[in-house]
Amino acid sequence: MKGRRALGRALLAVAGLALAAFILVPFLWALSASLQTETALFKRPPDWIPRPFTVANYEYVLTGKVPAAYEQRGLLRSPITQEARLLPWGLQNSFLVALGVVALNLVLGTIASYTFARERFRGGRVALLFVLGSRLLVPVAVAIPIYMTLQRLGLLDTKLALVLVHGAFTLPFTIWVLTLFFQAIPRELEEAAMLDGCGRFSALRRVVLPLAAPGLAAVGSFSFLFSYNEFLFALLTTSTVRSKTIPVMISAISVNPDASYTLISVGIIMAIIAPIAVALLFRRYIVSGLISSLGERT
Amino acid sequence: MAASRPGSGLASDPRAPNVRTGRRRRATRRPPVLALVVLALVLVAACSPPRELSGGGGKNTLQFVAWSYSIETINDNIKQFETANPGTDVQLSDYAWNDYHDVMATKFTGGSPPDVQYSSDHWLQEWVSAGWIAPIEEHCPEVGQYKSEWAPYATQGMTYNGKLYGLPYYADLVILIYNDKMLRQAGFNQPPQTWEELTSQALAIKQKGIAKYPVNIPLKKDDPWSIEIFYSLVYSLGGHMFDGENPVFARPGSEAGRALQWLVDARDKHKVMDPASLEVSEPDVVKTMGAGKHAFTVLAKYNLAELNQGNHSQKGNFKTALMPGSSHATVGFVRFYALSSAAAKAGKDKLTQSCKLLNYFGGKSDGEYKVVKRWALEKGLGFANLPLYSDPEVQKAINSWGDAKLERQQAQLARSKEGLTRFWGTWDISAREQISAAVSGQVGVQQALTSMEKRWAELR
Amino acid sequence: MGGATLARTRRRAQAGGGAVRTASSLYRWGSVAPVVALIALFTLFPLAYAAWTSVRGVLLTQPGSTPFVGSDNYADVIRGSAFHGAARNSLLFTAVTVPLVTVLGLAVALLLNQRLPGVGALRVLVLLPWSIPLVSAGIMWRLLLHGNFGALNGALLQLGIVDHDIPWLSSPRLAMWSVVAAHLWREFPLPAVLFLAGLQTIPTSVLDAARVDGAGTWQRFRFVILPLLKAPLLIVLVYETMIAIAVFDLVYVLTGGGPGTATTLISWLAYVITFRFLNLGQGAALSFLISLAILALISLYIRIVRVEGETP
Repeated sequence: MKGRRALGRALLAVAGLALAAFILVPFLWALSASLQTETALFKRPPDWIPRPFTVANYEYVLTGKVPAAYEQRGLLRSPITQEARLLPWGLQNSFLVALGVVALNLVLGTIASYTFARERFRGGRVALLFVLGSRLLVPVAVAIPIYMTLQRLGLLDTKLALVLVHGAFTLPFTIWVLTLFFQAIPRELEEAAMLDGCGRFSALRRVVLPLAAPGLAAVGSFSFLFSYNEFLFALLTTSTVRSKTIPVMISAISVNPDASYTLISVGIIMAIIAPIAVALLFRRYIVSGLISSLGERT
Repeated sequence: MAASRPGSGLASDPRAPNVRTGRRRRATRRPPVLALVVLALVLVAACSPPRELSGGGGKNTLQFVAWSYSIETINDNIKQFETANPGTDVQLSDYAWNDYHDVMATKFTGGSPPDVQYSSDHWLQEWVSAGWIAPIEEHCPEVGQYKSEWAPYATQGMTYNGKLYGLPYYADLVILIYNDKMLRQAGFNQPPQTWEELTSQALAIKQKGIAKYPVNIPLKKDDPWSIEIFYSLVYSLGGHMFDGENPVFARPGSEAGRALQWLVDARDKHKVMDPASLEVSEPDVVKTMGAGKHAFTVLAKYNLAELNQGNHSQKGNFKTALMPGSSHATVGFVRFYALSSAAAKAGKDKLTQSCKLLNYFGGKSDGEYKVVKRWALEKGLGFANLPLYSDPEVQKAINSWGDAKLERQQAQLARSKEGLTRFWGTWDISAREQISAAVSGQVGVQQALTSMEKRWAELR
Repeated sequence: MGGATLARTRRRAQAGGGAVRTASSLYRWGSVAPVVALIALFTLFPLAYAAWTSVRGVLLTQPGSTPFVGSDNYADVIRGSAFHGAARNSLLFTAVTVPLVTVLGLAVALLLNQRLPGVGALRVLVLLPWSIPLVSAGIMWRLLLHGNFGALNGALLQLGIVDHDIPWLSSPRLAMWSVVAAHLWREFPLPAVLFLAGLQTIPTSVLDAARVDGAGTWQRFRFVILPLLKAPLLIVLVYETMIAIAVFDLVYVLTGGGPGTATTLISWLAYVITFRFLNLGQGAALSFLISLAILALISLYIRIVRVEGETP
């Protein structure tokens, strides 16, 4: 019996290691590739640990200094593209848009959810159902019409357009989660506060919001991740560094046959730092948000 | 929290996060959030992209768009142009060759057209019909002087309805490149004269263990080169793709069918062509050729310079021969600088500056074709400007990696791509897809050609 | 607050003035209108616009001419051979990935539910693939699977498992499996998290009772655990089906729809028609059809969730 249990535990440990490897290998290889020279990357067998170790690729992206490895090649067509030098501004755009979307969700979403949770009014139920139903619409279904709409409105290639579009796609989820949170907070708390002299907004701010903080954290991090990771709308509607987000930039570099694979790897690493940080810091809220977002009930 | 309130529902609501953890978490949540906000603010406060990269500068900046080949050279040329023309600002943007057509279409129709951009002979009719580029002689009269010095197929490739739309960036041929050392190792003293001979040479090389896949041709369907290479195979067999605007490639027994069948057999039957050919573009093939993994390829001629002079392990071993096949013909193409209609209408200043840029890059400064000659000397790019052939420097450069005499011979047998119309660029996308599908075994050869013909009919 | 105080507060509140409790109609609508308007602007309006465009011939290379063509665009798109291939590919892709990602998610959830050293770290790691942009996941997999320069071929060659490069992305069948693999890697955290939450709410008393009754591991799984996971299971199935139909980012960076048309999925085709062939009319028609399919799935989903007792 003990032997069998030990065997079982050993198998589980192996499975755990396999899972960890399955998850981590793509990340680690991208990291390793970004720290190698281009010729080193083509060696067979490849160097798993970069040898020689070089940060020249990152230097190129951040300062424009062409890696010495490329220059030594003489006539070889240089595997650089100016797109790579725009990566930091892609990050800036992605951040600005994502933060804008978070702000939009936290402000408009909170106010609307509070009303949905507390008030009963004609048409309110219909509006709520409409909002909640649209949370499942997948971007690809409306991407092309949205592109055409934005083109007509002259809003192509602007960060504002992305904030609005991403906002429209994250608000349903936000309202879904926050409405539930607000509904679960007893009315009596606010009413007591209001009777004690608070106005409606004051009551909201002092009593309700602190209690709903986990929900706010969940919708905030979800909105951030959705906006930061969003690709299709950004691809269709952005064309210059004014508004291009990081997913669009790294995908353009990756399909460019003239771009070195090491540059491509640098792009990936730079792009994933922020969402990984957000996911790690807010994981509890993200997980609970995932669970409530799909309406799962045990 | 509500956990202490009976009947409140929050504690028993499984959808809410763990209540106890939630409370503990709130206190520890602040520092990470603050850190993120600070990071965000730092990024926001970071400066805008430098002038040379961003669309800044506004009205006095010329927007120059190219595909991503040798960006530092272009930037250096731009610097020299700016020095020679103080007060003019040029901002270069580059995009992948694979994406170039789509990106330009979006730029032209989305309201942010550049002023001067690269273009190619196969997109000329499409871009003119859509109103995206302007007839260059009408707006920059000084460029007319160069016309007499161009190779005829180049002029043909830049002229539509009698009007000229560009100045050549480079003009080149698709050629056969082979590793002479590997051939001799296998016992062959002469390059193949026919495609069957190439197959048997490849088989011998494979059997002797010199290379596992002696042939590699970039057939990735997203790579626009794949259709130009296919055309060159068809021409070399003495065939045609179109008769005027009528497709002839789908007729049974056509040379196009034979060419496609040769590719299919090379991959599947004889297994002499690298299966990865379907996912690689030109730069990848150059890398593996240079590393000695293959003996034969069909590529644009400047790649021969690359292979013989770049930092490859097989450097110096590459030669060219006339295209195998009964007629030894091939494809000649021209890539050119075009003036966008937007720049032509943008006012005198912008137009004058654009013309100056075009003249600097595609024409003469101080009496010589500076930029064109530089491309020829440094990178081995071909050129449409015939007088350069008599330039001893250029001759020496060509002979250092190639064979000037052979090049002229092949050029005489070169033809421009047939069937160029305003929808060729759209047809080309499905054509490449069908070729890739046939070579990968997804569809039969005749089926692929028939689909291509059908698509042509749909678009007309 | 003590119970007595609470009761008193309640009575006071119920007797209290209407001005405190009920908000004005203006406030109510003012607070929800922006949200509803924004969402409608980017869901209803584009759908309507797509419908309008889909019945007109709109080619970007022929600006200014948008004649009414009725159902021609729909007919052309559906009858085109490209559509058949893409529909078949999407069906195949969906039929393969949905069960696989569900099973993989369940397996991972079962693993994470064990008391093992390091399982906490694993639970953190598991979110990583899901948190990054989909295109970066695709590019990472391309670096692994590239025929000539990929790390996977390098490793296989080094270990002596194969003696030549495997064309992961250039053989039609393998390319499809490559997209499936990258998709699984990216998507499995979601079912895993959902199932894990489900597993964690199964009372241990139930499992203990089953063990006492003599049920083995497999029997406990099949007859106790699985039935209690029915709700998340259904939701995962429907949700992952929607995701499988919408797959675009991966195709863009991994295979570009190729080789040939081997990995051209339905949403990829809509993109190509609109932005490569520049045929907005047909692109709108196809994306409208995709929307209908997804709306059908959404209503199915809502029905399932409602049946399970959920209040929307």
